[in-house]
Amino acid sequence: MTSIDVRNLTKEHGGRRAVDRLTFRVRPGRVTGFLGPNGAGKSTTLRLVLGLERPTAGTATIGGHPYPRLREPLRRVGALLDAGAAHGSRTARDHLLALAASNRLPARRVDAVLAETGLAPVARRRVRTYSLGMRQRLGIAAALLGDPEVVLLDEPANGLDPEGIVWIRALLRRLAAEGRTVLVSSHLMGETAAFADHLLILGRGRLLADTPVREFIHARVRPHVRVRTTDPAALGALLARHGLDASRDEDGTWTVRHARVDDLGRLMSEAGVPVLELSAREATLEEAYLDLTAAEAEFTAQPQET
Amino acid sequence: MSFVPALHAEWIKIRTLRPLLGALAAVLVATVAFSALATADTDGTDPLFSVFFGINFGQIAAIAFGTTAVASEFRGGALRLTLSAVPDRGRWFAAKAAAIALPALAVGLLTGFVTLLVGRAALGASAPGWSDGVRGAVGCGLHLTLMALFAAGLAAVLRSAVATLSVLIPFLLIVSFVVGDLSGSAADFLPDRAGQVALHSTWDGALGPWSGLAVSALWAAAALAAGGWSVRRRDA
Repeated sequence: MTSIDVRNLTKEHGGRRAVDRLTFRVRPGRVTGFLGPNGAGKSTTLRLVLGLERPTAGTATIGGHPYPRLREPLRRVGALLDAGAAHGSRTARDHLLALAASNRLPARRVDAVLAETGLAPVARRRVRTYSLGMRQRLGIAAALLGDPEVVLLDEPANGLDPEGIVWIRALLRRLAAEGRTVLVSSHLMGETAAFADHLLILGRGRLLADTPVREFIHARVRPHVRVRTTDPAALGALLARHGLDASRDEDGTWTVRHARVDDLGRLMSEAGVPVLELSAREATLEEAYLDLTAAEAEFTAQPQET
Repeated sequence: MSFVPALHAEWIKIRTLRPLLGALAAVLVATVAFSALATADTDGTDPLFSVFFGINFGQIAAIAFGTTAVASEFRGGALRLTLSAVPDRGRWFAAKAAAIALPALAVGLLTGFVTLLVGRAALGASAPGWSDGVRGAVGCGLHLTLMALFAAGLAAVLRSAVATLSVLIPFLLIVSFVVGDLSGSAADFLPDRAGQVALHSTWDGALGPWSGLAVSALWAAAALAAGGWSVRRRDA
């Protein structure tokens, strides 16, 4: 089983800390979402893990070894960093053949990953003619070339069409189910929630959270219930009588916090308040994330000049 | 892991990039064509260089070849993908240099001998002898290879084809042409002047044909060492 271990990893770019004392472990058998706004240090972290940049301090290892020590690393680790890495004047197949040759991978692996990423029909076309989504697929094909135990993908959903997004979700789920270690960076909450089991959240180079997705959302956002009625006055009175924290939105819908559909439905039925709509609203990763970053801002915000 | 897989990968990259094949073809075509034109207007004082005059143009194509082969790694994050496959940067850069040198030498030697045959046919009685001619042809192949490697090393330092060609082309066209006429000076030791001594029937500077090529080789080695150092030291 191959984990990625990052310890106290720090990288300064011209005095600014792009990555600040990161410590985490990415475990096999699940998809770990690497989440944070643009510029939070996600890509820098991935480059440090791959030995492409030298850390100012700290270490990053894969299966206990620094990446540059791996023999034929594509057989152990596959990475998508830049969708633009393939030269526009080369065909996708030639691009992958060169990469395969460097790690003594057979040409049949090239054809296998081209088929897997849906690029087989265009494999002999120049990459210059590809859409961003196709280049992204080519980058993913390169990452899968050596059938690696560890897969690192930087913003893989960028530029993919809706069909491609469904495909990448299924691919990530399958890779994790096969017991691989999968780390996927994204700045899109909804997207990450759709495929990740576990989250690493980064803000300004620092680790803000290292937690299962479900737990993270439930700990941060309380569930609430949406109610719509033909008799707002009666509903308002009912909610007030039971001391429920509720507010009325502009469109006439009520939002009741810290309540459950089961309880509220019974109450309204007993009070004879007509129900047009009664639904539990699932908390989203986005809300949990905003709650986290708001809390973080309180600690990190510097007093502004007045 | 041995050196061969990295070399194999770099060779595939070179043979699958049309601009690089175009540059190699241009080495041959430019050298032969401009040499043939030059033989029509020769005063007979330096028959060997009359035959190989076109190398001034062919070496520009050789420089474009070496530059493009390296600079293509510095666009769109290509180098990051390359180094994630071959993390030993020293080995990777050596493989890249070898993958540039081998086709450049093959095309350079072919260019040398084709130019020689064309030149001998064009000059007739005033043509250089075979021993001078073969020395010129081999020197032509070596010189073109060394120029490609010199450019490759510089491109790894500057990390850009535009920057590299902006330095080298004006240097070759202006500095070397102008200063190069002042024979017997330090200009003899400039990389393109030194290597081209091998293409002259006579020489009066400090450098002879082989010592001149050796000086060119030192320039190429210095550029490659600087390029290798830059690739190893800097973040990709």
